[in-house]
Amino acid sequence: MRKIILLLTVFFFVAGLIGASETWAQKEKVKPKLLRLTFYYPVGVAGPLARVIGEMTDKFNKENEGKIEVVPVYSGDYDPTMQKVQTAIMAGNPPDIFMVEISELPTLLAMDAVLPLDDYIKKMEKGYWEDFFAPFRENATIGGKIYGIPFQRSTPVLYWNKEAFKTAGLDPDKPPKTWDELKDYATKLNIKDKQWGVTISGGWNDWLFEAFVRQNGSYLISADGKTANFDSKEAVEALEFWVELKHRLKVGPPHSTWGSTPPDFVGGRTAMLYHSTGILTFLKRSAKFDFGVAFMPQKKTYGAAVGGANLMIAKKIPKERQEAAWKYIAWMSNVKNVAEWSVASGYVAVRNSAYEDPAMKEHVSKNPEYLVARDQLKYAHGKMMAKNFQKVREILKRQLDDSVAGKIAPAEALKIAHKEIQAVIQ
Amino acid sequence: MKRLEHLKCYGYILPGLFFMGIFTFIPVFMSAYLSLFKWNVNYPEPHFTWFSNYVEVFKAPLFWLVLRNNLIYTFTTIPISMSLALFLAILINQKMGWIRSIYRGCLFYPTMIPMVAAAMLWVWIFNPGLGIFNYYLGFLGVPKIEWLYDMRYALIAIIIMSIWKNFGYYMLIFLAGLQGIPNHYYEAAAIEGATGWKQFRYITFPMLAPATLFVFVVAIISSFQVFDQVFVMTQGGPGDRTNVLVFYIYQHAFRFWDLGMGSTLTTLFISGLLVAIWLVFRVLGRRVYYEV
Repeated sequence: MRKIILLLTVFFFVAGLIGASETWAQKEKVKPKLLRLTFYYPVGVAGPLARVIGEMTDKFNKENEGKIEVVPVYSGDYDPTMQKVQTAIMAGNPPDIFMVEISELPTLLAMDAVLPLDDYIKKMEKGYWEDFFAPFRENATIGGKIYGIPFQRSTPVLYWNKEAFKTAGLDPDKPPKTWDELKDYATKLNIKDKQWGVTISGGWNDWLFEAFVRQNGSYLISADGKTANFDSKEAVEALEFWVELKHRLKVGPPHSTWGSTPPDFVGGRTAMLYHSTGILTFLKRSAKFDFGVAFMPQKKTYGAAVGGANLMIAKKIPKERQEAAWKYIAWMSNVKNVAEWSVASGYVAVRNSAYEDPAMKEHVSKNPEYLVARDQLKYAHGKMMAKNFQKVREILKRQLDDSVAGKIAPAEALKIAHKEIQAVIQ
Repeated sequence: MKRLEHLKCYGYILPGLFFMGIFTFIPVFMSAYLSLFKWNVNYPEPHFTWFSNYVEVFKAPLFWLVLRNNLIYTFTTIPISMSLALFLAILINQKMGWIRSIYRGCLFYPTMIPMVAAAMLWVWIFNPGLGIFNYYLGFLGVPKIEWLYDMRYALIAIIIMSIWKNFGYYMLIFLAGLQGIPNHYYEAAAIEGATGWKQFRYITFPMLAPATLFVFVVAIISSFQVFDQVFVMTQGGPGDRTNVLVFYIYQHAFRFWDLGMGSTLTTLFISGLLVAIWLVFRVLGRRVYYEV
């Protein structure tokens, strides 16, 4: 008897579940008009930026009430975001809109996961695409097709602590302009066990290294992403310069993490810092001392590789969702929103005309240091990108870390990196 | 009647077995199967290649570095945290009234904090300039160490943190074991003139053997599963000096999106762990005395 009751209970429970899910499914069918889009986005640097994205998206959702609702999902920093996007793609259920680190584009293309946006861009106002700064456009384009709209974009810059400069007897308004000056200043600023002369941040040291190679007039991976160029004379010189600073002179920490160096700068642990322009707002809020922002010092030329993330649309979703997704991206990348995002975050405003926006004008007239990264764009290039970029990064970082610890000679290290990376990207 | 009884037993374990099957056994066999395939960004569809993944693993110098890191971690954390746990358990087992619960709470609390939160905390404790670790070491005249930044010290920092995090759990098991030892053994020993070390050597230690074996096995498993603290504190860096087995698997499977390689490493990992535990039971298991 008891068994029968138990069986009946289980039966009704299961039947109830099935029934419920069916009515649920029907409900969804009755109301097909509202398109609910998922948007995975990272925040690459410190700051309450997730809130800003949420507020901007709320505004969009209100304007499109009853038709489109974008659900922003904060997915960690760049690496976890890429993982989540990849997982979702493999599972056949990609987020409709996603923002991933720019160098990941070739990997996503190999997975056939990104929608080309040329047709949509053609329908926009004239000069829309050309209004984006040229180096930002580079990482959105492969084989003549455009796959992403620049949004959360940056370049590395040099921050310097003016008070530390004064204490060391240096002119607090003159940051180093060349590698030689950098070395000279760092040596003067360094106080053993108390203050590093210069910190070239770890974590994304591959990105900063690319900037040094650019400053020395070379590149690391060809623009088509097929050929590695890690063992050039220029790259070896750049790494030798790092070894000189970090290992021989010991005026900078050999290793560090991306998240820990901004607090180090704020805490007076380092007098100069190479980091993304995206931390500028954090530094302004936290630093108790006067500091400056400058171009990264030059060797043969000023130079940088741009960084950050572009907005993209998934390829394997229905057309109507793609159109709704584009509507959101077009809205997010309008001049006013680009300016608003830049003011709130400290990232570079990605469009030329955003700097004509009244809110932006007022902001930069009060805080001219926000213009440094934009001006440096004149000397900036697209960031290296290739298939399997995560692996490329790990290989390169390993050799950089070993070199500045004095475990291996720069030329040797880069030869290994070159060989391993070439095998991974072709 | 007997048959029905048997069926009933199977019925009871069925729900557990069902979920174990879905989340443990099937994935284990799946990854063993997938380890024979190339499946990554270059091969979007799985491509059968026999044992080439295994050859690739053993040929990669990084794999051996990772294994070395993990073994260093295992052979330092286990003896230190186990002896610390035993020592403190014996101290805490003394009769000292209400103050005992305070001590017990203090010693056990690291175990109760989630690992990720604890790791975030230790990032600051180890911060070279602002952290308290260097601050206190400074009083002892130790020069400033760049804990997590420095290749030589990063793994040691992770080990220190893990010992702090794990010994409390072992201590609690030892404590339970100690409280299960009947007092008349000690009384008898005292009458015979055995004190201190001899009591420990001939009563406490053998009577604690089952608890010790359990702690040992748990410690081995958790030492190979170390991941959270590495993920939060160092991401395997600098220069892969804190890269450990599970982190290495994670890198291949979820960062490089190389599922074939990830499966190969997982399969090696599980087989290695099973062999290690089988050895422990074979060598130590029969020496353990269970009081019935």
